[in-house]
Amino acid sequence: MASLKRSFESDPFAQNISSKVYVRSTKSGKVQKIVREVYLRQDIPCSSKLCNACLKIAPRDAANRPIPFVLSEKPAGTSVFTQGHYIVPDTNAFLSAMDLFEQSSAFYDVIVLQVVLEEVRARSLPLYNRLVSLTKSEDKRFYVFFNEFRLETYVTREENESVNDRNDRAVRKAVKWYNEHLSKTSKKAPAVVMLSNDRDNLRKAKEDDIPAYSLANYVSQLKDGEQLLDMIPELEERDALIEKKPGQFLYPEHYTLSKMNTGVKNGLLHQGIFNVSPYNYLEGSIRVPAFPKALLILGRENINRAVDGDLVVVEVLPKDQWKQPSTQVIEEEAVTMNENPTEEGSDLISEKERKVLQEEAKRTLAKTTEGHALPTAKVVGVIKRNWRQYVGHIDQSSVSSSAAQGRKQDSVFVIPMDKKIPKIRLRTRQVAELLGKRILVTIDAWDRTSRHPTGHFVRSLGELETKAAETEALLLEYDVQYRPFPKTVLDCLPKEGHDWKVPASMDDPGWRDRQDLRDLLICSIDPIGCQDIDDALHARALPNGNFEVGVHIADVSHFVKPNNAMDTEASIRGTTVYLVDKRIDMLPMLLGTDLCSLKPYVERYAFSVIWEMNSNADIVGSRFTKSVIKSREAFSYEQAQLRIDDASQQDELTNSIRTLLELSKKLKQKRLDAGALSLSSPEIKVHMESETSDPIDVKTKEHLPTMSLVEEFMLLANTSVAAKIYEAFPQTAILRRHAAPPKTNFDELANQLRVKKGLDLSVESSRALADSLDLCVDPKEPFFNTLIRIMATRCMMSAEYFCSGTQSYPEFRHYGLASEIYTHFTSPIRRYADLVAHRQLAAAIEYEAVHPAVRSRGRLEAVCKNINVRHRNAQLAGRASIAYYVGQALRGKATEEDGFVMKIFSNGFVVLVPKFGIESLIRLRDLAEPEPAATYDAETYTLTTSGSREVKVELFQKVRVRVTDQKDETTGKRGVKMELVSTY
Amino acid sequence: MPLDTSAYSLALLRVDGRRWNELRRIHAQIRTQAAADGSSYLEMGHTKVMCVVNGPSEPGPRRGATSGGGGGGGQSKNAEVAVNIVIAGFSSVDRKRRGRGDKHILELQSTISQALAASLHTHLFPHSTINISLHVLSQDGSLLAALINAATLACVDAGIPMTDYVAACTAGSTSTYAANDEGADPLLDMNHQEEQELPGLTVATLGDSDRVAVLVCESRVQVSRLEGMLAVGVDGCKQVREILDRVVREKGIKMIQEGTVERGVGLNDMELD
Repeated sequence: MASLKRSFESDPFAQNISSKVYVRSTKSGKVQKIVREVYLRQDIPCSSKLCNACLKIAPRDAANRPIPFVLSEKPAGTSVFTQGHYIVPDTNAFLSAMDLFEQSSAFYDVIVLQVVLEEVRARSLPLYNRLVSLTKSEDKRFYVFFNEFRLETYVTREENESVNDRNDRAVRKAVKWYNEHLSKTSKKAPAVVMLSNDRDNLRKAKEDDIPAYSLANYVSQLKDGEQLLDMIPELEERDALIEKKPGQFLYPEHYTLSKMNTGVKNGLLHQGIFNVSPYNYLEGSIRVPAFPKALLILGRENINRAVDGDLVVVEVLPKDQWKQPSTQVIEEEAVTMNENPTEEGSDLISEKERKVLQEEAKRTLAKTTEGHALPTAKVVGVIKRNWRQYVGHIDQSSVSSSAAQGRKQDSVFVIPMDKKIPKIRLRTRQVAELLGKRILVTIDAWDRTSRHPTGHFVRSLGELETKAAETEALLLEYDVQYRPFPKTVLDCLPKEGHDWKVPASMDDPGWRDRQDLRDLLICSIDPIGCQDIDDALHARALPNGNFEVGVHIADVSHFVKPNNAMDTEASIRGTTVYLVDKRIDMLPMLLGTDLCSLKPYVERYAFSVIWEMNSNADIVGSRFTKSVIKSREAFSYEQAQLRIDDASQQDELTNSIRTLLELSKKLKQKRLDAGALSLSSPEIKVHMESETSDPIDVKTKEHLPTMSLVEEFMLLANTSVAAKIYEAFPQTAILRRHAAPPKTNFDELANQLRVKKGLDLSVESSRALADSLDLCVDPKEPFFNTLIRIMATRCMMSAEYFCSGTQSYPEFRHYGLASEIYTHFTSPIRRYADLVAHRQLAAAIEYEAVHPAVRSRGRLEAVCKNINVRHRNAQLAGRASIAYYVGQALRGKATEEDGFVMKIFSNGFVVLVPKFGIESLIRLRDLAEPEPAATYDAETYTLTTSGSREVKVELFQKVRVRVTDQKDETTGKRGVKMELVSTY
Repeated sequence: MPLDTSAYSLALLRVDGRRWNELRRIHAQIRTQAAADGSSYLEMGHTKVMCVVNGPSEPGPRRGATSGGGGGGGQSKNAEVAVNIVIAGFSSVDRKRRGRGDKHILELQSTISQALAASLHTHLFPHSTINISLHVLSQDGSLLAALINAATLACVDAGIPMTDYVAACTAGSTSTYAANDEGADPLLDMNHQEEQELPGLTVATLGDSDRVAVLVCESRVQVSRLEGMLAVGVDGCKQVREILDRVVREKGIKMIQEGTVERGVGLNDMELD
């Protein structure tokens, strides 16, 4: 039999082929060995414009276009490399200082090695994406050199060599090759410099005579190096540190990933997202599937360096350590105010914290009510950090007096705006400049030896309390994309600009399959000053006694085609964000406020939903069509209401609005009968002075019947469209669901109502809840019902977008609206989900072919995930903006208002003031000086104080409070401060 | 973690270091099994297959093989081409057991059977069967193409008269279907990772001509990109044919030198140096 063996030498390719062997473990814990071929070649160019030799081998794509060379022929120099230089950073340089490379003042002509790119990708996908976008930017001149495919720079892993060492060696080899290669091109060739923050790598480079610097050394050679120095993390010398003081660990070690995975699989450990209580920074909770209620995580040691939002693994503590959730408010600033940032405390728990914790312990021990104890857990490891950039300011009290003047590097604490994030230790040389500014920082690491996480400075946003800085801070904090639209996006707009018109000729392709509805009496009703008009309505009587009702939605999908730059940008933004004084658009102004907006008196493209209804508002038939409309009038809610109420107005338009109103009332009644909830949240409006846009007054929003008119028809349109697209795309329709809240969510509220008011809250179904909420009335206090609704709303789940294939039909239900199926269709100008729904509906009615992007389930799921997050952030940002302006409006004023107690702690209580829609904590120590003693009865939710001031505060109680503004010296935030005046 | 196929645009290099129009290394041998009528072993990158041909012979008892072309087996005027594929459990990363009735394998068998039946002169062997056994030892993409190439070589070795080589390879595109990128480059000869992430097709042509014998596309791709992919694929098939031809000729020369066969009339044009 012939042998299949062949000698390696006889193969002409042998030296050019290598294989990459690596082992990976799958999600299910299986270990796989992957073998991949690697073809080594000699035609990968160096991409320097100086090099003529490489020009000949420049790779060409299928259309025979060569790739342009990237690295400049005259690269910038430093004090050491006066002839210019190219930079080759290694992996940890990118991992630890990506912000640095994104600077526009330095870091040009960078060679990104393939091995580095691969390692960055393995370590952090977001950083990888940032790096890739850097390599695509033209002015930064980043070149990816595929060193692993070039014969000369390929290295094989040696025996007993770790993967990291092999990769470091590959980096050094590539740098060496580059230097030799470029020195052939000219005598004064630029140097190629390796940047690393790894001591070992630097040392080995020195041995091989390769130019190499640490980031800090390199930056100090630059002209404006000083400012950049702060952005550099420390040299990696963790090993050294551990050797230095072995007994100094403040936190228990995290488990290894494989140990955690096994534990989670066996059910011994649990995995979930870590959340910090907004009232107590030492108390966290985590929801895991194995327990119906959230697990409590108490104390610094148990939290073990987890930060709000991290994906962590916890171990449940033995039952004798189970506790009640804290009834006390503990704020980090107040407790750890006097810590010294430069000196690492040798104790994990400071004296003051210990005192607080002991008090807690005493309280729990005193009560032997076992039944109330909740399971507690401790964090044993972090699977994935959710660290982002945080906005904060430097804690004045942590600054030493010498640091405030000199340029010596100094450690200070940064207090993040988000109270759930711990203080961040920051080393900076610019303390003096940064004091009193809003700054952006990131967390780099949290070592076992350090009580607080360490981070570095990214940039300054401006003076505290200036409108610009605070607004930007808010946008950053909620991750709102607020930068102007890039040119690629604007290029997607119609060339005619504002002069664009619906084509006059019906033969134009724009008119294809469009119905001409210009003769209908259509009008829009929106809030005052609304510029982006998404929707318009009409109604007319039909000869058979029924009514024809139409909802016309701006045809955004006509202008925004799938997968172009504008679509991608919109899908990232996800939604328009409304702040008090500002609107951050999802789509460029031209579309949002002009071409798409259904402005009155002009013709516009629309997507119409038209029903035939009988006088009982039952739907007889419905149809969907693209159309051309001409709105007759754009009303504000108030104008429309006046017109309806004015009996002398008997024109056709007014009568059709009256018809709509009648029908909407019937629709609403039907919805309520089906069990729709009417929930509540404090809604207020800030009035601004028109010229200076300073806030002058705060008012609660009024509710007009015309508002629910519009709302009802929008709900109806959304529901109809949802059913239609689900029918056409059972697997990939974009829908919105609102899950029924777990019953345990209402336990607390139901108990409070029973104890305090003797009312029953039944939560079996949305109908039962709606009915029992209706019964929650206090005859003496009309606001009580709203208060309960606000509190009930907070027990709900949040609604979410999803792709129909990911859930079974019963899960589609929208709990709040009591609708079987629901989607968002009516606001495509300001929500991306609606735009997707438009495309799907257009495909469902066979107006256009299905675009793959709206059919691919994986893509839609990614879109849903993103817009869910964006939607939530937009809401939070909007609220935070209102809160800021309420604070500004109250500045320097003191008013007495009525408020209600909505939450009670053993050392304070939370009061909601409906007039301003604000809630604030009143601590015992705010009541009187010295702090009165208090007893808290958790059974009856009553706090009784004695001593310096005697009051009795109960839950749901109406109280009189004085509202003032106050700048919190430690947080630097201007906030509302309340003082208790009297109880009723 | 190694980069994925999206990194192509950075430097026009694929995940294994090839350019868009480069084949992987192809290594082939014929007459690897002396006992068989014809045999071959073929590697396209890390895809390794071997093939054994028996026949044309009297049809034996029918087994799990798929027949095509000739149709009605022993009773017909044409020889039946029966293809049987065995995929070794160790051939891919996951040990997956495939049963006899695996639909995927059945389809491969029938595709190969029909492709070869069109090239082999089956009408010369009525009432007989040509048994082609294919064994997959290692998989790294372009499996169907490798199987067709190996079967062609083994048929040549078995001395079954045929019109020309049936040479096959795959072609793909550098961006996914959903990306809808009009400017995507076509790719030649996809490996496993590329097959997982990108759209692709398998094409086989008859000899030097542009006549397509097999065209299989199991992924979604825009029609506009198909033409480019097909052109690259057909071009690749010609390169593959060259390689197969060289393997056959080299083996022939060696056999003459060793005296295994006499220098016949038909071999006159072979250079023996």
